[in-house]
Amino acid sequence: MTQPLVVIDHLKIDVRVTKARRLAIVDSATFNIERGQFIGLIGESGSGKTMLCRSLVGTLERRGAYISGGTLNFDGIDLVAASQKDWRGIRGKRIGYVPQSALAGPNPVMTIGAQLSEAIRQGEKMDSKQVHNRAIELLNIVKIHRPELVIRQYPYELSGGMRQRVMIACAIAQEPQLIVADEPTTGLDVTVQAEIMDLLQEIRKDLNTAIILVSHDLLLINEICDDIVVMHAGVTVEKLRSSQIKDTRHPYTQALYNSRIDIVEPRGKLVTIKGQPPTVGAWPSGCRFAGRCDFVKDSCSVEKEIPLITVGDNHGTACLQYSEIWK
Amino acid sequence: MNLLEAFNVSVTFKSFGYEVQAVKDVNFVLPLGSVVGVVGESGSGKSTFARVLSGIQLPTAGHVNYMGQGIQNGKTTYEGELRKAVQMVFQDPYSSLNPRMRIINAVAEAVKIHQQLGKEESIDIARKLLARMGISGIDAQKYPSSLSGGQRQRASVARALSVQPKVLVADEPTSAIDQSAQSQLLELFNELIKDGLSIVLVSHDLGVIRYLADNVYVMQNGSFVENGSASDIFQNPSNEYTRKLISSIPGHKLNS
Repeated sequence: MTQPLVVIDHLKIDVRVTKARRLAIVDSATFNIERGQFIGLIGESGSGKTMLCRSLVGTLERRGAYISGGTLNFDGIDLVAASQKDWRGIRGKRIGYVPQSALAGPNPVMTIGAQLSEAIRQGEKMDSKQVHNRAIELLNIVKIHRPELVIRQYPYELSGGMRQRVMIACAIAQEPQLIVADEPTTGLDVTVQAEIMDLLQEIRKDLNTAIILVSHDLLLINEICDDIVVMHAGVTVEKLRSSQIKDTRHPYTQALYNSRIDIVEPRGKLVTIKGQPPTVGAWPSGCRFAGRCDFVKDSCSVEKEIPLITVGDNHGTACLQYSEIWK
Repeated sequence: MNLLEAFNVSVTFKSFGYEVQAVKDVNFVLPLGSVVGVVGESGSGKSTFARVLSGIQLPTAGHVNYMGQGIQNGKTTYEGELRKAVQMVFQDPYSSLNPRMRIINAVAEAVKIHQQLGKEESIDIARKLLARMGISGIDAQKYPSSLSGGQRQRASVARALSVQPKVLVADEPTSAIDQSAQSQLLELFNELIKDGLSIVLVSHDLGVIRYLADNVYVMQNGSFVENGSASDIFQNPSNEYTRKLISSIPGHKLNS
């Protein structure tokens, strides 16, 4: 059996608030990414999704955050201990990154061609003619029309969808083994979103790249990913195959799945998750969903971390009551 | 009875010698007590049209009627008492609330000015309104920065409702918030509709439109390409563009 591409085990990420004060943003993230796998990471704002992505591209330090515990392993390399020099061999080359905001993503004072060539020149030495050809090739892969024109344009001349395509082109320039896509379609239309998702799926098929897609849209993730990882308040609460979504074993995932509006009659009763997610830094002990859960019992708040319990093939849940709830 | 009507409305923006026609000669009707959805992709002119309806943007041509009466008088719209009739909820809950004002004061200010009440009374009304929107005592005393996106959006709705409007123009109210916060907001809209509020709902999320709207207008490049009752549009869309929009809803393939 081959090693998974990425092993994340009880990963903890802290942020320095002041000199002495630390705040845990991610408390216990646990999941693997297989080679060529399309994995979806879902959670509400503040659940630590973005920080987890940053840990995969080594840009935590810039936000005053750092990994304070657990394992983060990429293809046999220990990323927790990786120096900035090690990162230069990984970031952009073996792990590509598609940022959250398509509109703010590309550098506004550089032409598309200049940005692409930066990404291309990270790899083997090429003369400018080769770089140019490769840039055109990349723009063709991401299906930008008239690449000869676009290569001379500035980001403000492109639409949001096109800018995001350019960002994807930069991410795949070195044919990485993993692409981290942090909410790549927030702020874009549904039609553009569908196009970008098709593109990601195609890239994954052609280049056999693993992709981790972050979103708060369960339906989107369920439609296009093989596997789903659910985060809540900094903890992985469930991981499962997307085909198993109807057999979820965690009340949070179930509530998310049932709160979608496409299944109810117009103006029918909506399932809402009551209350707000617990605030960062004020996490309760035991299950962090307990305060919003319909099935909560006293034993849910025992003072310890709830591990992922294996409930089936590739299926783990962090719910202590799952056998009671799903008899 | 039609609450709001738009006749041949066009909006043209001029910049650096270019003319952009954002809204092209559109007609629109909002019947009393109903919810009308406007869908379309970004740049199709939805938001500009919403601003025309709420009187923030003056149309270049055409006019808007409220209860059969023109809203525009020279360069002013919704004069005097009319001003309270139509209120707007903006897209971005992060920038539509004053960051230096506590939520309760932001809402009370609107109550105070429009209902001409004293400070104590306005705060009292504001507190009741916020409670109804699910923002309780402690949260109401907070600044916008300590609230979540969903809470902020509900606070914006509370502020819009503080003058007891007849029409709410909501411009993409759910696009910047989480799924669970979205359901809470939609539940709230649902209650308001039952109480008789008419809503113009602008969105590119067809799921939200399907859930709330009675009638739907589909906008593309500044014109309405299709309109009809929500069930008609979703079951047999006649326009190619509408079909494309519907098939891009995530989870759509799941159900069909």
